[in-house]
Amino acid sequence: MKRLRFNQQEIVFAVFAVLFLAFSIFLRGFLTPENMLTLLQNVAVLGILGLAMAIVVIGRGIDISLIAALAVPPGLVLQMVQNGHSLPASLLTAVLLTIAFGLVNGWLIAYAEVPSLFATLATGLLLAGLGQAALFQLDVVQWSDGMKGFERLGQGTILGIPTSIVMFAIACVVVAFLLRQTRWGAYIYAIGDNPYAARVTGIPSRPIIVLQYVVAALIGCFAGLVMAASVNSMPTRVFNSTLIYDVILVVVLGGIGLSGGRGGVLNVIIGTLLIGTMLNGMTIMDISYAGQNLVKGVVLLLAVITDSFLNPRNEETAQQGDI
Amino acid sequence: MSDTVLSLRKATKLYAGVPAIEGVDFDLRRGEIHALVGENGAGKSTLTKVMAGVVTLTSGSMTVDGSDVAPRTPLEARNLGIAMVFQENSLVPTMTVAQNLFLGQEKFYNRLRGIYIAAQQFLQSLNFDVTPTATVSGLGAAKKQMVEIARAVLHKAKVIIFDEPTASLTPEEKKYFFDLVRDLKKRGVSIVFISHALEEALLLADRITVLRDGKHVITDDAAKFDRAAIVQAMVGRDLSNTLYGARKASVRPAGARVLTVQNLKMAPMVKNNSLSVFAGQITGVFGLVGAGRTETFKIVSGVLKRDFFHGGEILLHDKPVRYRVPAPAVKAGIAYVTEDRKVEGFFETASIARNIYLGLLSKFPGGRMMLSRRETNTVGKSWIQRLKVRAIGDEAKVVELSGGNQQKVVIAKSLVQEPELIIFDEPTRGVDVGAIVEIHELINQLADEGKAVVVISSYLPEIMALSDRILVSRQGKVVEEFSALEATEEKIMYAAIH
Repeated sequence: MKRLRFNQQEIVFAVFAVLFLAFSIFLRGFLTPENMLTLLQNVAVLGILGLAMAIVVIGRGIDISLIAALAVPPGLVLQMVQNGHSLPASLLTAVLLTIAFGLVNGWLIAYAEVPSLFATLATGLLLAGLGQAALFQLDVVQWSDGMKGFERLGQGTILGIPTSIVMFAIACVVVAFLLRQTRWGAYIYAIGDNPYAARVTGIPSRPIIVLQYVVAALIGCFAGLVMAASVNSMPTRVFNSTLIYDVILVVVLGGIGLSGGRGGVLNVIIGTLLIGTMLNGMTIMDISYAGQNLVKGVVLLLAVITDSFLNPRNEETAQQGDI
Repeated sequence: MSDTVLSLRKATKLYAGVPAIEGVDFDLRRGEIHALVGENGAGKSTLTKVMAGVVTLTSGSMTVDGSDVAPRTPLEARNLGIAMVFQENSLVPTMTVAQNLFLGQEKFYNRLRGIYIAAQQFLQSLNFDVTPTATVSGLGAAKKQMVEIARAVLHKAKVIIFDEPTASLTPEEKKYFFDLVRDLKKRGVSIVFISHALEEALLLADRITVLRDGKHVITDDAAKFDRAAIVQAMVGRDLSNTLYGARKASVRPAGARVLTVQNLKMAPMVKNNSLSVFAGQITGVFGLVGAGRTETFKIVSGVLKRDFFHGGEILLHDKPVRYRVPAPAVKAGIAYVTEDRKVEGFFETASIARNIYLGLLSKFPGGRMMLSRRETNTVGKSWIQRLKVRAIGDEAKVVELSGGNQQKVVIAKSLVQEPELIIFDEPTRGVDVGAIVEIHELINQLADEGKAVVVISSYLPEIMALSDRILVSRQGKVVEEFSALEATEEKIMYAAIH
């Protein structure tokens, strides 16, 4: 006899369905085409960030510095164009900055063996501080004429679908391909499953860990460009917001175990949908910012507890200070 | 009997149905020094753990001073007057000596000065030269042991059990320790100690008990033993009765020299180790726990981290090599099959086929940027068949398999890399009987194919059954080499014991 068991993916999807249904019935103005579009647009950036986080979490790490990668390099693009540089040159500079940032993260974690939580906490602060102190003239970097045309990355529609959602979809396809179809993806899962076995097997663990953080930073930068394009500016103070908690919420709630080696793009999509619905519903209900944080906190706590029940960390291969 | 302080009758302890000790009778007299000796896995540790309340008996009885007891925790044993000094000592490194002494006995408010004075007086009464205000982490191994002993005496222990007390001591410290133990004996304390060093047992103990395969072999006055008699009692097993089959009638000749290790050093486990491994034969490496066998071969295969490497030379096909991570060693044709498959053996969330495919990918990444589902399946299937891995299906997760099948997957993951030098570290630990035979067949087959095979094992029958050439390791280096034809269990054990 087969025992009736749901995996986390199915549970979260069921919660999402129930929540969506309840909001549709009880919440006036929820199930309208306009609101659905807003909902999806709002979560697109969150979803892209979730993909970046998913890559490192599957590799048994965490990247707290994602929001810095979201804010600073795209902010630099806007600032440089404002200062009269050409758009391609600015983009190239930003991408190089992002890669360098990812390399620093990866080197600290893979070679200097600093726990990912602390390494990225520090580097994120550093990059954000660098941006605010040396790169940007104002907290909100404004759109300028030289950026003309670039706003299409976040505004308008492609074949009737809002562009930001298309961008999320593209990022999903790229990350899914990387994780499921390439050798590197297989290595990331292996390292997350058992880093010691990965090492002994002869997997080049350290270069792959560096790769994870570089790719995560690049995806974070991409999310920032989409975000900047959709609001025609880069509010660099986003670094001080609680956005990183939402990203972790998406990943954990979606069912990517923090113990590594599990989950994939589908989990990010499910997590994003659930969080998007929740946030949108709370906004329509006019719950205050503080109240929303309270709800998010409780949900994150529940998700983390459920995660450690469903995916207990293997004590023998866990190390102190890792996440 | 009044002069027996502690006794065990028909003591049996099962771990997951497997007996660690079986029907052991043991008596400890008041004020005697009693040595426990035996091979790895003979049940010495389990026996002492039962006395110290760390594990409870499955069946059998234990009496202290004539009354039946069954301590379930170390605290209960301590209240009965039994204290154990573990190999890894149980002191809090960041606290001072005095704080450690009174740990667990603190009052609600402790005046540090009061504790220090009490500790000072107590240590002086024992003639222990330890400063009570010193932090434990700064003490040497011998002083730490003194603190442990002092704590046991402070708790009014009648019985003090030592697990390998001299393993980490220098010769002078050892002498001091012996004096200490004799002094404790004069105070009427009974001492049990486990030792791999037979000379010490002969020198220090009043009586010696020998265990073998979880059973009691002999207990007698130390004066009636000599080294040879103890070794005989330790290994006196009839080989035809073991699972491993009889020893070989002929040995494979040595092929080309594949690996040479010269004067390898790594503190504290490997001391000036030199050895060679040849193609087309099985080199068995025997030694007791702590002989530096695993460490030596982990350095060879790049598994141990670079900062532990202190000197010496490793030659692969007569070319000097030094691998700081396993990846280049794997590329060079070295495979290390770990002794601890759960920690560094397999990927538990991945299927059997994926585990094996990962091994293939990391050795031969060329042209495999994309994963191939078909290749995963064919590679997985062929190895599952070849190694007779028994699973519900190829997609079964490794974590759901039995120990023997897990081990086969770990081996397959290495063999798919087509190594020339294969190092098996305790290849049949925690493996069921049927799988042991199959794994041994496989190891023999590899040597027949001309591969250089190393088998590290702490179990003599396994070494005897597999090896063409036997290296005996002791205290960080290979001390003796035998051809399988001339080796006997006694000779090997004699060389392995210090």
